[in-house]
Order: sequence, then structure tokens, then C-alpha cells
Amino acid sequence: MTEHMSQTEQQASVISRDDVALVTGATGFIGPRVVQNLVNRGFRRVRVLVRPSASSSETKVLLQQAGQNDLQVIYGNLLSMDDCIAATEDARVIIHLAAGRGEKSIPDAYLNSVVTTRNLLEASLLHRCLLRFVNLSSFSVYANDGRTPGKRLDETWPVEQHPERRGDAYSFAKARQEELVVEYSKKYGIPCVMIRPGWVYGPGNTAITGRVGIGSFGVFLHLGGSNRIPLSYVDNCAEAITLAALVPGVDGEVFNIVDDDLLSSRQLLRLYKRHVRRFSSLYVPKFLSYSLCYFWERYSAWSEGQLPPAFNRCRWNSFWRKTYYSNDKLKKALGWMPIISTQEGLRRYFEACRRKDAHA
Amino acid sequence: MLKAAIVGCGKIADSHAAQMGRIRNCEIVAVCDREPLMARQLKERFPVKAAYSNLAELLREARPDVVHITTPPESHFQLAGMCLDAGCHVYVEKPFTLTEQEARKLIAHAHERGLKITAGHDDQFTHVARRMRALVNSGFLGSSPVHMESYYCYELADTGYAGALLGDKRHWVRKLPGKLLHNVISHGIARVAEYFSTDDVEVLAYGFISPYLRSRGETEIIDELRVIITETGGPTAYFTFSSQMRPSLHLFRIYGNKNGLILDHDQETLIKLRGARYKSYAEKFVPPVNFARQYLGNLRTNLRCFLARDFHMKSGMKCLIEAFYQSIVNDGPVPIPYREIVLTAKIMDAIFLQLDQGRSVEARVASPQAASKD
Repeated sequence: MTEHMSQTEQQASVISRDDVALVTGATGFIGPRVVQNLVNRGFRRVRVLVRPSASSSETKVLLQQAGQNDLQVIYGNLLSMDDCIAATEDARVIIHLAAGRGEKSIPDAYLNSVVTTRNLLEASLLHRCLLRFVNLSSFSVYANDGRTPGKRLDETWPVEQHPERRGDAYSFAKARQEELVVEYSKKYGIPCVMIRPGWVYGPGNTAITGRVGIGSFGVFLHLGGSNRIPLSYVDNCAEAITLAALVPGVDGEVFNIVDDDLLSSRQLLRLYKRHVRRFSSLYVPKFLSYSLCYFWERYSAWSEGQLPPAFNRCRWNSFWRKTYYSNDKLKKALGWMPIISTQEGLRRYFEACRRKDAHA
Repeated sequence: MLKAAIVGCGKIADSHAAQMGRIRNCEIVAVCDREPLMARQLKERFPVKAAYSNLAELLREARPDVVHITTPPESHFQLAGMCLDAGCHVYVEKPFTLTEQEARKLIAHAHERGLKITAGHDDQFTHVARRMRALVNSGFLGSSPVHMESYYCYELADTGYAGALLGDKRHWVRKLPGKLLHNVISHGIARVAEYFSTDDVEVLAYGFISPYLRSRGETEIIDELRVIITETGGPTAYFTFSSQMRPSLHLFRIYGNKNGLILDHDQETLIKLRGARYKSYAEKFVPPVNFARQYLGNLRTNLRCFLARDFHMKSGMKCLIEAFYQSIVNDGPVPIPYREIVLTAKIMDAIFLQLDQGRSVEARVASPQAASKD
């Protein structure tokens, strides 16, 4: 890791060590690692925008990890234009990680992802000093409908044009957030880099991804089967985001973030059961899960939304269609390499899961 | 074809748009939100003709017959007034207004203009609520109600709305006279208001901040409330709001001098309580069988509604909107009597006034020096 750090430190950066780098969502899952990366690289003016609702312990941990002197904490809400103006003042790089995660309703997710992003972009325009805007998006924006070229998902894949059909608030908000960022980039010449991570896992996110299966119906339905899971260990993801913020010459680019040595859904589930806890699961073959999603979608439409369209073909394609992933561009353009191996990442993840279960 | 518009494009507006889409002879001609992006996302997902960020513009250009106000409560009075001035009928989400005075003014305004107005007390129009109303009206209770109990609970969690509210001292809910309670309890209060025959009621309220919220450093949000409401010469009622009790009930019990009824809003069940007792040990064995039979009957009814595609989570809202539109088209009576809307506001006013007074007393007790200066 030290060797890797020294390599990246030697690389040219779009900002100097004394420029302001703003990180939103800094108390979230990925945010603290990104902040730490910046501080470790010698950036002396890292600023974080923290929600007033963030617990004092979260902020304290962040300050302790990063070192009090290198971090400027601004308490505010991205829904407040005044707070955004204050946060973006003199900011040369903005790493926008804050998003409406966990929102079940589309308006809430949209408000906390799209409206907030617009406010941040508008505020940054006032200061006229922004050199890069890094937007954290998601794999969920891809249209994986079988008409896409090949099974290897890379940055050239088309983006979902009708995210509302997915029936998922987060996907909808992320797709529209990306559109907004691109729109601002074109209209006002804001240099943007789009980051689309796969499933970011690690201590802090102990839930098992829906790409493996769902436990909503009493028994865990294993839907992923032999699919590769687009794993991205949180430290590796943070490293990629940091590089996307600093490496020159990548404005306007999109980067998918996945680790090397991806496991299949079946392998991940088996390891999870072995290392975290035993539970019964039922494998649902692809043709059956697709049929169920199809009938759910049709019933939802026929019943005028009596059952919400939570399961549908768009979601099946995005989550459970067999797909391979590439991180070639990430490696070539940003010089990214995973700093934590999948084996070690999973070890830490399972340990965190066990700790959480023990406290539950 | 009734032309409808929605003002305020947040979470509840989705429910309105979805239920309006299920009603025949109605179209959503426009939506409006001060935040243009929010108006845009609603328009994108529902069959809506136009999106606005200015209500005056919407009223001028889209010329709706009826406007649904789904904004935060502090704006209800002003926005509904604007819509009435523009000749539109108005459906106002709960809470109807911030005070009884505003409620009276708004209703008088609608009356003057020959327009109709209603409050979003849609919980009273679910299948089970309508079944209960029909039973009460048929005389099942044996008399006018003697006593009622209304539970309306709310689980506070660290996520979503509650998380945002608890963590943000500037949250709009904190600016309401009754804060969290103001935004939540009107469904539970409206249930009892329906069965009071006059507005001559006395209210005795006791509220406090739960130990859970206190442990989080909360000093403003009252999340535990117990209320006794009495009508002179009429029924009495208990109202309970709790963020901590489990199960988190949405329950209504009503008793006459002969029988009683229990309505569970979450499970959509209605249980008849037989006033007369069975003899001796029969009282121990027959009623459980009777209850089991009733619960099975409820299951059958719910399944029938579900299979008939008429068991949506917001089916009450559809029924209320439909009834309101019918009253507009046929110039008939509004689905929720104005007296009931005003009484709900009156009871809420009395609760918040007493909680405020209680807070002042608490502050004086906590700070004897300040009290002696008074």
C-alpha cells in the first residue's frame, strides 16, 4: 500500500496540495476513506460538508482519522443553497458522494440526489474556480436489457432511458442525477468525471447485495446463481474515486469501479454462510426468476399498482442477468490498482458482519 | 372530464397522482412545485400535461377545475385561498390548516365562492372504515357512541423522514405549532371528531418527550401524547399517540350502550364486540370462537378486495377523491362535513395550546429563578 501511495503521490494532480477539495457525504460509507486518502496524499485543505443530522460520533471519527488540522468541517444541508455556497467557496475539486440512499419513495430519493446535486453545481458556478466535479453514480444506471453489446459491461454500455420502469427510487434518482451533471457540464463547461461503482462492500455496509438474492419473502431466494457479482471493496472504491478527482486529462470520462477476482453469486453466498451465519436459501433458476418478474410487472400494471412494480424485467436485467464486468479503463486511464485483495476484503467484510450479528 | 392539478410534488403527491390516475373522467392537467426539478420528476412519471413552478401561472394557464394541495401544512391556507380565488375546488392534504381559525376562514371562503373544499382524511374512507361507518349508522352500537379510543402511532427511526427531522433543527416540521404531532395526528383525531355531534368539546392533553428522544438530545419534539376529549352530554374519547409503544397501532375502538367495534387500520380488520355476555363458562369459550370466525371473515373480505384489484394501500384516498369529485360534478354534499374538519382543527389547537402551556410550566419548574422573576 505504501509503495502504491508513493506512486500515486508522484503523479501530477489537477489541484495543488493547498487547494480546497470539498467532499460531500463524508460521514457516509465511502466518504471517510476518500477524505483519508486525500489527507494521506498531503492535501492540506480538505473540506467536508456534513449534515446537521450526522451524529457527533461520526464526525468525531472522521476528524480523528483524518487529523483535525487537515480537515474543515462545514455543517449544512445540500438542500440549502446558502449552505452549498458556503461549502463550495474556493473549492477546486468537488467529490460529490452524498446521495439519497435508502429512500423508498422516488420524490425523496430525487430530492436528496438530484436537487442537491443541482444546488451544488449552481453554487460552484458562482465561485468560478472549480477544476473538477466528481459525481458518484452507480451501475444501476446501465440499461442491461439484452440488446446491449455482448455480456461484458463496460463504460460504453448505454444508460437506462426509462429508469422509472425499474420501480426503484435509487436507480431513478441516480440516472437523473447523471443526466443533470452531464447537462451542466455541457452548458457551463464544468469539468466532470462520472464514477459508477458496482456493489461497494466492507465494514459499514454489511447487508448482502440484492444481486445475490432477496430475503423479503421469509426465505432467502438466491437469484444470482453463477452470475459474477461486481464487487468493489470500499477502500478500493475510495482509491478509485480519489484518483478520479486528481488525475489530469480525464474530464468528461466515465469509470466503472469493480475489483479483480470477482466471485460468482453462488460462491459469495456459500462463503457468507460459512463465515457469517447459516441460513436456508432457495435457488431460483433464471427462467423462473425472469418469469416471476415478468408476471409481477404485468400484474402491477393490470392492477393499477395494487402491488408496486418492485419486481420487473428492467430490474431483472440490471440485477440478475448474467453479465461480466471490466475495470480495464479504470486501470489504464487512472492507474488504479486494487489496494485490498478480494480475499482480504471479504475477510474484513465477513468479520464486520459477524460483529454486527453479535450486537444485534 | 374534470381537470385536476397537484400543487407540491413531494412523496404524498405520488399517491395523489397514482389514485387520480385510477379515477375515470379526470385528468391531471398540471403539477406545480416551487422547485422546478420536483415538478419535472412528477410530470415525467405520470400522465401529466404540464409542470409549473408558479401556482398563479398554473391557475392562469392550465385552468384546473380542482386543485390538490400537497405542500407542507404552513402553506395550505395561502395556497388554498389562491386556488379558491381562481375558482377552483380544493382538496387540501392533512393537516387541513395550522389552526381552527384558518380552517373556518378557508371553508367560509369556499362557501362564498360557491366552491367545495375537503381535507385529506383519507383513512376514513378505506374499505374497513366504510364498513364501520355503515354498521354504526345501522344502529349496531345500540345508541349514539358512548366512548371512543383512537390510537395513532408513529415509529421514529433514524432513516427517512424521521431521521431528517430529528437531525435537522431547521426542519419545516419543527416550525409547526404542534411540530411532529401537527403533521401526524390529524388522521387519529379526525376519527373521533366524526362521531362527536357538536363542537362543544373539552380537551385534556398530556404530552412529553420520550426517553428515547431525550437520549438523543431532543428537547423540542414531543412524541408521546395522551388526550381525553369530552363532549358535553355526548361521548368521550381517548386519543393516544406514541412513537415508542409496540405494536405501533393505528386502531379505533367505538362503544355504544349495546355493542362495540374495533377497527384496525393496519390489518384492515373490523371486529364486532358483543355487549351481552354468555352465561358462566360459555363466556370463556364462545367469544374466542366468535372472534376467530370474524377474523376469518375479514380475511375473506380483504382477499376479495385484493382479487378485485381494489385493495391498494391508498384505496381510501381514491375513494375520498372520487367522492369529492362526485360532490363537485353533482353539486352534492362534500364527503367530509365541514363541521368535522373544523372540529378536528379545534381539538388539535387545544392539544397544542396545552402542550405549550405544559412546556412553559416545565421550564419554570426547571428554572426556579426565572419563575421567581415572573
